[in-house]
Parts: sequence; C-alpha cells; structure tokens
Amino acid sequence: MRAFRPIVFSTFAVAAATLLFWLAIHQISGVWLGLALRPELREALEQHRSDQLALRRIDPANSVEYRRRFDNAQHLLSRIEILRRGEERMVRRFETILVLVFALASAAAAFVILLRQRRAELYERRTFAERIAALQETARRQAHEIKGPLTAARLELERSGDLVRASATSSEIAAAHQSVAEELERLAKFTRGFASLGGLGKPVLRNESLRAMLDEFCTTFAGAWPGMTLAVEGRDRSAAIDRDMLRQVLVNLCSNSAAAGAQSMTFTIDGSSSIEVRARDDGRGVPAALSERIFDPYVTTRPADEGLGLAISRKIMLDHGGDLKLLRTAGAGATFVMMFGETDRRWN
Amino acid sequence: MVIRAAAVVLLSLAATFAAAESRPSFTTQAGNIIAAELPLTILSDAKVTRQLGSGLTTTFVVQIHQRQQSAVIVARLEIRYDLWDEVWLVRRVEAGKTGERQRLPSRAALETWWRTPLRLFATTTSPAKFDLDLLVLPFSADEEKETRQWVSKAGGVGTSARTSGLVDALIGTTIAARPIMSWQWTVEHPLR
Repeated sequence: MRAFRPIVFSTFAVAAATLLFWLAIHQISGVWLGLALRPELREALEQHRSDQLALRRIDPANSVEYRRRFDNAQHLLSRIEILRRGEERMVRRFETILVLVFALASAAAAFVILLRQRRAELYERRTFAERIAALQETARRQAHEIKGPLTAARLELERSGDLVRASATSSEIAAAHQSVAEELERLAKFTRGFASLGGLGKPVLRNESLRAMLDEFCTTFAGAWPGMTLAVEGRDRSAAIDRDMLRQVLVNLCSNSAAAGAQSMTFTIDGSSSIEVRARDDGRGVPAALSERIFDPYVTTRPADEGLGLAISRKIMLDHGGDLKLLRTAGAGATFVMMFGETDRRWN
Repeated sequence: MVIRAAAVVLLSLAATFAAAESRPSFTTQAGNIIAAELPLTILSDAKVTRQLGSGLTTTFVVQIHQRQQSAVIVARLEIRYDLWDEVWLVRRVEAGKTGERQRLPSRAALETWWRTPLRLFATTTSPAKFDLDLLVLPFSADEEKETRQWVSKAGGVGTSARTSGLVDALIGTTIAARPIMSWQWTVEHPLR
C-alpha cells in the first residue's frame, strides 16, 4: 500500500487542482459569454432596428441609408441569436477542453515527479551498494593484514601469561596483562566485523515461506537476547531469499533492538502491494539526528560497536532485489522494513 | 345517460377531427411520387410562430425512414419574415425540384404556400409504408456558416494561428442547428 501512496496523493492533488481550475474557468467563461450575449445588447439592437423602421416612415427620402442600418442590426441580432442558442453547449465544451488540458498537464507533471523520485531512489540504492562494495574490498584487505599480527600477539600474550603465573609476581603485572588481553579482544572483534563485511557473498535465492523462516528464527533465537521476546504476525507470503543471509539481517536488527532496551520484537509480514516484513521493537528508537545516516558504515549509537551491522544488512537486502528502510514511527521504538522481490536489480 | 353517451361520442369525434387536422395528408402524383400536405397546426404552433418572428430563417426538414433504414432527408422548407419589407421569404426544396426563393406578401399567402403538397419520393410499392419526421431547425445552414465565420474572425483577432484554430474547432462543433421541435408520423399510403 505504501508504494501506491504517492500515486494516490498525486491523484487527489490533480483532482483537487482540476476542480479548482474548473470552478475558475466556469466563472471566467460564463462572464465572457455573458458579456457577449447580454440581454441589454440585444434589446439595444432591437430598438435600433425598430428605429430604422420608424425613420423610414418619417423620412422616406433616406430610406436606403435606413435600410442599410436596419440590415446591419438585423445581421448582428441574427448572429447573437445563433450564438445564444449554442451558448450552453459552447461553455460546456470550452470548459471541458480546458479542464482536460489541465488534467492531462497535471497528470503528466505528477508522472514526471514520481518518475524522478523513483530514479532518485534507484540512484541512492546503487550508490549505496557501490560504496559498500568498495568498503568490502578495503575491509577484506585490512582484516587480512590485521589477522596475522593479531594472532601472533595473542599467542605471545598467552605465553607471557603462563610465565607471569609461574613466577607469581605482583598483581600489577596481572592487571596489565588482563588489560592487554581485553584490548586485543576488542581488536579481534573489530577485525571479525571487517572480515564479515569483506567476506559477504552474493545471496543464493530460493523461493521460501517467510512465515516458516521467521517462526524458525524466533524459536531458535528465543533466548538469545535475555528480556526480549520475539513474535511473528501476518499472512504468510513466499519470497526469494537466502536463509542464512536473511538470518544475519534479523540477528543484526534484534541485537540493535536489545541494545536499545527493547522488550519485544515483532515481525509483521505484509504483502498488500510488495512483499515486506516489518520489524518493530519497543526500545528507545533511533535518534532523529541519526535517522538519515543510520545505514552508513561506522554510524552507531554504541561506543563499543563498529557500526557495520545495518550497512551489511541493507547490502544483503539490496542483493535480494529489495531494500531495508527505517520507518519514522511516532512514539517509542523503531520500525525497520525489509522489502523483497523487486525486479529492478540494476545496481547488482 | 343518453346525454352522457352523446357527449362521449362528440368528444371522440372532436378528438378524431383534431388528430386528422394535425396529421399530413398524402396524395400520389404523376410518376408514383408520394406528396404530403403538411397540416396548418404546425405553422400556427406557438413555439413555431415565435421562431418565425425571430428574423432568422426557420427551416423545416422532412425526412423518412423505410424498413428499419436510416433516415433520409427528402424535402426542406425555409421561411423567414422580412421585417423591413413585411414579407415572407420562403423556399422549398423537394424531390425533383430545386426551390426558387419566393416573396409572399401575407400570412394567408404563406398558409397557401405551406399547404401546397410537398413531393417526397417515388415508389412502386403499394401500400407505401414509412415513417415521416418533421424537424424544426431555428436557423439555416447559410446563417450558421456566416455566424461561424463572423465569430472565427472576431475570436482570431490578436490570437495566434494555433489558438485561432482551436477557437474555430470549438465554434465549429458548437454552432450547429439542432431541432427545437419535431413531429413523427407512421404512414401507410396505398398508390392509386
């Protein structure tokens, strides 16, 4: 239904504008023809005609001149009478033509606006996909470069830990050792994120039941985020999906919701126009300042997070021929829309 | 009882007489041409009388339908009252005759002219069965054409050729004589 909203809005706008335009034209054309066909004008001409008849009787010598004037008045009266008989029809036709022209022009303008919006949307998706693809390559290389020294450093740290424990030296050395271990773990986590982005492949799409997939996800991950319940709503729809990659999207969304203090996450399947799944939580929601950039890499509300989850998730949905969008929802909570099955996949 | 019956009979007779008066009568002329004498009640109809005094040429179009076929115009009568000369200018176009314009000095002369049988069409089928339509147009084709040209010129002043064309098209489809009255009769006329 959301996809038709601009069209419905445009249709209403065109209808309203056409109605206003018709009212204006109705007034204008009515006045225009009203002036041309005023009864006073006819009465004056009839009087002028009668005057010439009277003058002929009074002054027969100038009869030719009076006849000429009489004929002129008679011609004009005849024409006005013919026009008067077609007045209503003429006004109606005139208004119809103008209204049609206006309606066509408005419809064309609305179509162009919709087309431009659609093109802008496609361009934004393609740009995003290209940006993520470039980032993927960089991430893959960086992860590769970091992994070697990181592994070596961790092994060395483990060995030094054994040495520290064996020598049973002071607790300060143990604390420093622990601190280095935590830093290395953070670096390892960051590298895993990079590796995850760099190693993101193309989805292998198969037609599957969304309901079955989501039910299975909710059962499997029921206890994954303590304090947060998972639920599925809506009629089942079939969509072309890669289960593993879609599961990654769901995990990312749920992790974000849990981090935002959500107590419930509901997936609603909607297939009224295009196939969509809405993921709605009751957490703190997305800050307005971030909503425009929420899918950009490294954008996050959590200091310890690398900010790649939503970028990866949107890339996955684009690779599914759809998209991932944040709906601006009033009140608490955030709602994301996973869109499936769009045929236009030019950005791939 | 008797009075009531007599009144009913009289009313029936009056209605029959009135109906006969408002119907054309038909004759067969040389060459099996069917001719119709139009009733005077049409000419004296209030709306027709008002129209005749408008200064425009009131046009009576006679058309026939035979055996589910489309209508064919078989005759035309044009009447205009000239206020200056106080004469009736008339013309009739009928089967086998191209009408000459005539000047009739009085209403009586007009009625005589009106009652002159109007030649409709030739046929060999007897009885001839057809529907006869009489349409009253408020002005003639010439007056219609002249007004179109006049409005077109007036509308064309100060406008582009394209706009003028649009105005012409608009006027061309709106200034057209449409019947203001009509009569229809179903006829079954045996040839002599």
